[in-house]
Amino acid sequence: MDTYLQAEALAKRFDGVAAVDGISFVIRTKEIFGLLGPNGAGKTTTIRMLSTILAPDAGDVRIGGHSVIHERDEVRKRIGVCPQELALYPELSAFDNLVFFGRMTGLSGRAAKARARAVLAEVGLEDRGGETVKKYSGGMKRRVNIAIALMNRPELLFLDEPTVGIDPQSRNKIFETVLGLRDEGTTVLYTTHYMEEADRLCDRIGIMDRGRIIAVGTPAELKRQVGDPARTTLEEVFLRLTGRKLRD
Amino acid sequence: MTLLIRHALLLAAKDMRIFWRDRFSLTFALIFPLVFAGAFTLAWEEEDEPTGAAPRLTVAAADQQGLPEDLVTALTDAGWTADERSFEGALDALGQGDIGGFLLLPADFGTAVTTGSEARIRVVVSGKDPTEAAMLESVARTLAGRSETVMLAVRGAGALAVVPDAEQLSAVSQLPPLVSLEVRRTGERRYNPIDFTLPGYLTMFVFFVAALGAGSIVLERETRTLERLVSNGVRAPSILAGKFLVATGRSLTQLAVLWTVGVFALSIDLGASPGAVVIVSLLFALASAAFGIMLATMVDTMRSASSIAMLASLTLAPLGGCWWPLFIAPDWLQALGRLTPHAWANDAFNRLMVFGASASDVVPNMLTLVAFAIVFGAIALVRFRLSPPT
Repeated sequence: MDTYLQAEALAKRFDGVAAVDGISFVIRTKEIFGLLGPNGAGKTTTIRMLSTILAPDAGDVRIGGHSVIHERDEVRKRIGVCPQELALYPELSAFDNLVFFGRMTGLSGRAAKARARAVLAEVGLEDRGGETVKKYSGGMKRRVNIAIALMNRPELLFLDEPTVGIDPQSRNKIFETVLGLRDEGTTVLYTTHYMEEADRLCDRIGIMDRGRIIAVGTPAELKRQVGDPARTTLEEVFLRLTGRKLRD
Repeated sequence: MTLLIRHALLLAAKDMRIFWRDRFSLTFALIFPLVFAGAFTLAWEEEDEPTGAAPRLTVAAADQQGLPEDLVTALTDAGWTADERSFEGALDALGQGDIGGFLLLPADFGTAVTTGSEARIRVVVSGKDPTEAAMLESVARTLAGRSETVMLAVRGAGALAVVPDAEQLSAVSQLPPLVSLEVRRTGERRYNPIDFTLPGYLTMFVFFVAALGAGSIVLERETRTLERLVSNGVRAPSILAGKFLVATGRSLTQLAVLWTVGVFALSIDLGASPGAVVIVSLLFALASAAFGIMLATMVDTMRSASSIAMLASLTLAPLGGCWWPLFIAPDWLQALGRLTPHAWANDAFNRLMVFGASASDVVPNMLTLVAFAIVFGAIALVRFRLSPPT
């Protein structure tokens, strides 16, 4: 498979502390790449640099052949970002949220409305898109959060802990959506604390700790590093690599 | 540039939509000021029952020829009872508490004005009635402003070596009055309290709503919607411009609704220069909007934004003459009030609506409000950030 994202020696420091410490990795076209790590490992900082929100102190990333430092506008046309916060307007309906963000990506009013209807169907909210988001359950809000990131038909989708605090049905719907997007050709970078989720969804996984990527491979390859892949869980791999000591 | 404007307008339209849907915000922005202004107007009316007489203004003028007489005539024409007394008579009346103060036009006032030399109007007050003192001071300022125009013309003529002789001066004095005083305080009452309570609470709540708007910007920073917009290709200046537009839009909505209700339902008098009232309102809206954005750049959390917005609004309102007319406040409070945009706006509203000043009289107020807007806006521009602190 082709490389869609290539990070080279990417680094970011806050107040002298290295949040991301010179990481290099690739994400292949049309794969779901999981980025796992304990709290404070640097996952969100990495996503913020990859999505052009935060400028790296060192290194560069090429997305679809474009540098996040020198060609930010080109990169922004190709990405969709779903942050772990509910980055939406609860006072508006899901439909209005989608239309607003769609128009901000450059869609015309008519195109944004059409796209909003399609995306609402994709996340299973076509019947309730007219209700204000503040009336939604946590799972529905999470799905709207993802839907917004899909408005510009991104080639690369960043999903930062998209299933935190939601019911199994909503989680399952999100899995279906993500797998469907991958099948349609979207590349996905997915972060989560749920190991079984990563095991089920991700084609490859990178494990981050203390600002560095300490292991990369398919779930089976990672499991093989610590034992029999058939009997080892990804959580065991994770704890073996990052340790059992509490981080916060 | 087109994209920048498009993004700013879309952002502002979205925020205005949210504002219109929020019943509490609408009540706070539009109903509360009217309730407060109404309640305090009733309080003022009870304290100051209408006398039924035309407003009185005592003028002690030693010189009954020329300009002072013109001015006294102008006052009478404008609906005042011009109570002409000698200086000694006026002093006696003041001492006995019959009057709260008077204007003293010195014997050489008319000659001084028509020859371009220094002329002084003195305001003599007992200090017991601050409202009357402020009224006299305002009338004196207006007289001084008008007289200055005549003096400038005379001095200009002098500079061009056109030296008028006694005959020419006499001829000038026969011309129609160069100074006409427009004081619109006519009718049954000395003033309508709503003329200063409504502008006061209007400025307070316009500023309050703009300051509280800082919280929504901080919230968007915390929930990463601003970052999300950036990842969608929206640039920071667009976001800043959009936020400024919507803050100004909210203020203009308040101004439009409150002035309309004031004029058509509460019979407020916008004075001789309603256009100037509108301009002062717009400039105050801009300064308030810029303050709200600036505040958002100076705090880290939603809670601190709300607390500081409330503290700033409730502190600056009385200092700036929103709760009582600044002209009845002690000098030190008036001086302190000058540090607030509220005071400059309220002073302009009072001059225009209560004391019949013209637009040119409040130009310094307008310029000061522009300066406030520029300073607040510049700080916001420099400090604006899209992400919460790490």
